Amino acid sequence: MQALKILLATSACLVAPWLYAEEAKPSLQAAPMDLPVLQDETASSGINQQYTGPWEFFVGGGLAVLDCNQDRMPDVFIAGGEQPAKLYINASQPGQALVFKPQSLELEEQDLKQVTGAYPLDIDNDGFQDLVLLRVGRNILLKGGADCRFTKANKLWSYEGGNAWTTAFAASFEQGQNYPSLAFGNYVDRSAPGSPWGTCHENDLFRPSSKDQPDYHERTALAPGFCALSMLFTDWNKSGELSLRMTNDRQYYREGEEQLWRVPADNPPKLYSRSDGWQRVLIWGMGIAEGDLEGDGFPEYALTSMGDTRLQVLDDEAEEDRPIYKDIAYERQATAHRPYTGEDLRPSTGWHAEFDDVNNDTKLDLFIAKGNVEAMPDFAAFDPDNLLLGQWDKKFYEAGLAAGIALPRHGRGASLHDFNADGLLDLMVVNRKDPVSVFRNLGAKTAQGTQLMGNWLQIELAQHGSNRNAVGATIAIKTGVPSQIRRIQVGGGHASGESGFVHVGLGVAERATIRIQWPDGQWSAEYRVFANQFVLIKKDDPQVRYWYPQ
Amino acid sequence: MKAKYSVVSVALVVLALLAGSGLVLAEVVTEHEPWQDQHLQADFQLPTGAVSPEELERIREYGEQLFKARFTREEGAGRPKATQAIIPTKRKRVSEFTFSRTAGLDAAACAGCHNEPKLGGAGDFAANVFVSEGFVNADFDSLDPQFSNERNSNHLFGAGLVELLAREMTTELHQLRQQALQQARRTQQAVKVELRTKGVSYGYLTAEPEGVVDLTALQGIDTDLIIRPFSQKGVFVSLRQFTINAMNQHHGMQAIERFGERWTGEADFDEDGIKNEMNAADISALVAWQASLPPPIQQQPADLKWQQAAARGEQIFHKIQCASCHIPALPLKSLSFTDPGGWDLAGTLRQGEQADAKLSYDFALQTWAKQLKRNEKGEFLIPLFGDLKRHVIADEKVAALGNELLSQRFVERDQFMTSELWGIASTAPYGHRGDQLTLNEIIQAHGGEGRAARDAYLALNDTERSSLIAYLKTLVIE
Repeated sequence: MQALKILLATSACLVAPWLYAEEAKPSLQAAPMDLPVLQDETASSGINQQYTGPWEFFVGGGLAVLDCNQDRMPDVFIAGGEQPAKLYINASQPGQALVFKPQSLELEEQDLKQVTGAYPLDIDNDGFQDLVLLRVGRNILLKGGADCRFTKANKLWSYEGGNAWTTAFAASFEQGQNYPSLAFGNYVDRSAPGSPWGTCHENDLFRPSSKDQPDYHERTALAPGFCALSMLFTDWNKSGELSLRMTNDRQYYREGEEQLWRVPADNPPKLYSRSDGWQRVLIWGMGIAEGDLEGDGFPEYALTSMGDTRLQVLDDEAEEDRPIYKDIAYERQATAHRPYTGEDLRPSTGWHAEFDDVNNDTKLDLFIAKGNVEAMPDFAAFDPDNLLLGQWDKKFYEAGLAAGIALPRHGRGASLHDFNADGLLDLMVVNRKDPVSVFRNLGAKTAQGTQLMGNWLQIELAQHGSNRNAVGATIAIKTGVPSQIRRIQVGGGHASGESGFVHVGLGVAERATIRIQWPDGQWSAEYRVFANQFVLIKKDDPQVRYWYPQ
Repeated sequence: MKAKYSVVSVALVVLALLAGSGLVLAEVVTEHEPWQDQHLQADFQLPTGAVSPEELERIREYGEQLFKARFTREEGAGRPKATQAIIPTKRKRVSEFTFSRTAGLDAAACAGCHNEPKLGGAGDFAANVFVSEGFVNADFDSLDPQFSNERNSNHLFGAGLVELLAREMTTELHQLRQQALQQARRTQQAVKVELRTKGVSYGYLTAEPEGVVDLTALQGIDTDLIIRPFSQKGVFVSLRQFTINAMNQHHGMQAIERFGERWTGEADFDEDGIKNEMNAADISALVAWQASLPPPIQQQPADLKWQQAAARGEQIFHKIQCASCHIPALPLKSLSFTDPGGWDLAGTLRQGEQADAKLSYDFALQTWAKQLKRNEKGEFLIPLFGDLKRHVIADEKVAALGNELLSQRFVERDQFMTSELWGIASTAPYGHRGDQLTLNEIIQAHGGEGRAARDAYLALNDTERSSLIAYLKTLVIE
């Protein structure tokens, strides 16, 4: 039975495009919701970066969104592959064009090369965002300081950095720890005999060795490794215990599969196995996105691949210690298995995945970056990024073409983020051998142009002491009966991470109540906020504060 | 497809008849029957932009027709699968009855409650409504205050002027916040600013250099600094928002701009079989009618003794600080009313959202506007006897107006918007529940922030108290 499932799953990737070829192409008239207009401002944005390089850089190509100059406007650090990574400071005005200015980094150029991706987080609890650089070779930790100054901190934090080909990252604060645990996902071990086939590198977990300062000299191997291209600390069963989900590339592993590690505090990680109900799934795993589509607190996961994207939800047979998932991508029309426009009907290649509400209608949307690995003949050469809008019937609606993002570029990492502080999510996509795409969200498409979309909130959490940005916190936003769930996470996507405000669409709700489950497990009292505000919530403060962009 | 009747309503029924060797299609045409109730006009043409008084009158006529309409099921009355909530919310089960005095439908027409002393006016106690958020326990059938807040119906005269005042005041408050933020950023010092507009203080706001505002010292206003002048509680920003809410709650008539496919995925959200029940033009007409209702007036009594008493009463009104909240008049810069206004949020039509639904009409061209006095700046003095601010109106010892158990839309149970006193002589009974029989009773019921004035009133002698009442009795709806 299991073999049959695998066969069906595998064949769906190849056959599905032809089976589904009669599906309706998206049209403005048929759209039962606001279609966002994402205006391409790449040329005028001031960002000039491409992700390039040989085979090692067929994968990767990420960016980190962070506020490095404490103005609460999101800045970006963008990998360049064989070219140096670059930092851009956000100079956009609220609601206006997206404008960035390059900022030089006082770092060795060689350290900025070979970068595949980057994730922001405050490792040392000093209030400044630090950066984790994933590299082909030694990974680098950058300690953030005032005015976007970064210094190499591998030695300071006793992190050796390894010599692997690192393509995935996740971090979280384990209970009782003052500093985050860092997980690195590694790809092919090029030095192993027979490489690249069946030679996936082990993955690494670095737990802090000290409570007084970041100290990552102790490595825990997460073996076997199956060429992870994305990983994410998650609380799949609402137990409060961390798990580490990995999506792996079947292109290179042998006898591999998708992985879920149990990561109990103070104990070694342990893989969920078949006896736990974990089912073997084989995909060309490229990216992970977590979102609570059902609003029940149990996260769903989108897994990008070549061919079908998977959308996993807990199966009815799942139990608290039995992570049994079923794929609902087909019934939700989220397979995104082939290009939705153009003549190329070969299967797609999906990379970055991210859930958020791009049209502010309270329904989670799913963005998927697409692009042929390089020149794989069995897969689409023209492979536009997807913007799958969540609908009221729980199905997704492809709006990439209507939104204006169906461009002939080769997407990799990406970020949905409000770069000009107007409440609308903009989009930045790192492309292989193409310029980084910068799209500004102008609002909902109309016959005359654009109009306002639904109400929104953006929420920033803070707490004293360690874990100042509340990584691991859950935010429950209630408007009327339903609640929307957001989580503060570091990891996932494809080689791309973001920090700062968490965005949520409110639709027609004028008010919302917010409750926070802080990383220590405590639930906050109810905060009452009005729509269309940037809300700052500090743990134990009785009232929120609002922030207004300059 | 909007379910409405035009003057010549045509329904096509296609019948397939077998005749001879082939299929014959027959077309049966039926016309609208003249005795059928018909309120919504599918062919009503709403002009755009600035409209003349004559055009406004045409819109008002349609608005009045809708205000008086006893909508039928064919028009969309009823909401079997929708609650009264302002956010489209499904009922768990269909109510056994179409009407219910508690959870609604609770009125066949707007005019069923807003009719004292005439159309658009207030309501008797019999016309009270039971306000529930409509999210949980939406189908309550009890008068127990743990399920709902019982409220008397307000009058709507001068409502357009009230909204204009609130808009101007909101704009000024946002300017104050913006100025404070700019100064804080420029000086790198925290800036504390009093939020005072048109003489009304809404407390203080502190702007920090990094663009953060401290909201802990606000008074009587929501944290987004938007004045919501309508309802006893002060929770509706505009007549348009109020109208959309009320049409759903009281009649089950759902506006497309809130309950349509865009925000719910359904054209028939309440599942009564009728799609797209009220369009933007219908709502605009209702808004136009309400907004342009003339303001109440201060009527000079024919009786000389009453005149003299009222004159003394006016002095007392100020002396005992009634006027600190019931401010006799607030200045208004412009009488130009645009619909939609500038402060509505999604779910109520917003400016730029539907280009052909933007109206502008100038109250200055209305006959009643000639009666408005002006100050030295040329501003119109709107005699509303209010401050468009919420106050705590009950305390431990004087608690009659603190009877409610449920907060409403973040407003605590003992806080209410200052009642505008214009028209008060025409709108007994009093209080937010409509359970205070006389002006004397409602004055004595003031606790909380109204307690000092109430105590001062009780300290007056009988003649002085009577004079104050005589003054208030001059505030009538004509």
